[in-house]
Amino acid sequence: MSISAPRYVQGSVPRVGRPSRVLAIVEREFRRRATWGPIFAVALTWFIVVLEVVVTVYFATVIGGSVSAAFESPYGSVIWVLLLLIVTATVGAGSLADDIGSRAITLYLSRPLRISDYLGAKASAVGAWLVIAGVGPGCVAAAVTAALGYVSVSEALAAAAGCVAVGLVLAIFFTGIALALSSLTRKSLYAGVAIFGTVLSVTVSVGVVWGITGNGTLLYADLLADVQSIAEAAFGQPSPYPTDPVASAIVLVLTGCVLALLAWWRLSRIEVVGE
Amino acid sequence: MPGELLRVESVTKRFDQVEALSNLSVELSPGTVGLVGPNGSGKTTLLRLLMGLIPPSSGRLSVLGLDPHREPLRVRERVGYMPEHDCLMPDLSAVGFVTFMGRLSGLSKEVAIGRAHDVLEFVGLKEERYRKIREYSVGMRQRVKLAQAIVHDPPLCFLDEPTSGLDPAGREEMLRLIRILAKLGGHSFVLSTHLLPDTEGLVDQVLLLNAGRSLAAGSVAELLSQRSTETVVRVKGDPDSFAAALTAKGVAVRVDGSDLRVDLPEANTRPLFEAAQATHTQVRYLGPSVRTVEDLFLSLMGDGRRGSGP
Repeated sequence: MSISAPRYVQGSVPRVGRPSRVLAIVEREFRRRATWGPIFAVALTWFIVVLEVVVTVYFATVIGGSVSAAFESPYGSVIWVLLLLIVTATVGAGSLADDIGSRAITLYLSRPLRISDYLGAKASAVGAWLVIAGVGPGCVAAAVTAALGYVSVSEALAAAAGCVAVGLVLAIFFTGIALALSSLTRKSLYAGVAIFGTVLSVTVSVGVVWGITGNGTLLYADLLADVQSIAEAAFGQPSPYPTDPVASAIVLVLTGCVLALLAWWRLSRIEVVGE
Repeated sequence: MPGELLRVESVTKRFDQVEALSNLSVELSPGTVGLVGPNGSGKTTLLRLLMGLIPPSSGRLSVLGLDPHREPLRVRERVGYMPEHDCLMPDLSAVGFVTFMGRLSGLSKEVAIGRAHDVLEFVGLKEERYRKIREYSVGMRQRVKLAQAIVHDPPLCFLDEPTSGLDPAGREEMLRLIRILAKLGGHSFVLSTHLLPDTEGLVDQVLLLNAGRSLAAGSVAELLSQRSTETVVRVKGDPDSFAAALTAKGVAVRVDGSDLRVDLPEANTRPLFEAAQATHTQVRYLGPSVRTVEDLFLSLMGDGRRGSGP
């Protein structure tokens, strides 16, 4: 090993601002999650959504059914939510847990960054993956159907707007839940299991209680009901649920934001310097 | 290096019922500072306060002329921090990691890459810089931690137990690197450690902490000279009669285990030998009681214990 004096000169380099530092974290976190698991989950989501939309829209045009309903078909299904849940667990579970576990969070927070910068960057990276999985395939499917001449450009644009609305709401909710549960543990595996467990247990138990009591208000706590309600409204279809789609969207977005705040609170309790 | 490095004015930090720092006041000028004390002495709390990570319960701090509580980000732009514990990102190569840390400190991507290569070469990891950190030994990891702390060329660097976990050769190498950096000029270092030998020949100022209080602070040379009037004497024979004979000659003596600590005015050793002759004892050892920072610390700790004793 050779030792030589560093060539750097103090104070000679202009510093970039906080947005650039935050962007560096987003970039790093996004690339870090580009492993086989998330890529496979996202690819599967794209394949299923694009195929289902294109085939359904084709048959709707041939048979004479509702094109809007055809565009909406994947978003009203459990499979789409389940696929996004898999993407959330594979991408988001380790977003904070890995840094807490390796104590790399010390290095982030001892730099000129606020906790909100760090958390915002992590949320952006996780959110970006979820938007790619949740919004991307719907928009591409709309473009494909328009390119194949199954629907007009205006119909395709309306469908894409619906995809964006539903996908963004669910991306915000899942980002919040991923950050909150990831901040509570040092192991991404535990966070991943917790993401699945929490979402599935709440959804199933609310569904059961609703079936017994018939209280429609409970459905706002049912993720599947909320997503279906929002999707039906976004694509101009009648909802099978007695819930207000706007209220459902607000519930999901607010829950995501509150969960992100929980993650911020948890991070603020971590000792950056020290054992 | 003109100016002020750190100023701590009557700072107290409480965590619930525990007072981690008690009315601490110290002013240190640029250079290499040893922040020394046993575990639980308040070193870590002081570092956290100086980096603006926690607010003081009372009092004021200043780092490079900035208030870390009011302007934490501006302070952290100007400081580097080498943590004690392992906190690296094992999935990255050393050059990728140090580049990333440079970017987090405010360097542009291009500049951060260039500096990452420079500092990794400096710490002796030129050949291994593209290997994943997970493959590194403890010594190499410590070097990477030092590299990330200096990548943005901060005027002040906090090094928390930099020799922790290193073998003797690794420890020497790490201290040598810090010594080189200190000699380059333009950089100040605060070396937090409970390993007192690490500070020898490296720090020019010291802050000795114990139980959240300052035992001593300031220039090492001045502190050592202040304490050096005391002489350690070991005798063969009856130390009590020897001590009594010295006391009779007006020399202050105190017994410290098997040693006699004698306060000789103007380093005049004549009373010692007169007392030895009178009491038929042999002087077997004679030397200054404080010669190193470790001696100084132990001496001050001893004073503290005696002061708080029954």
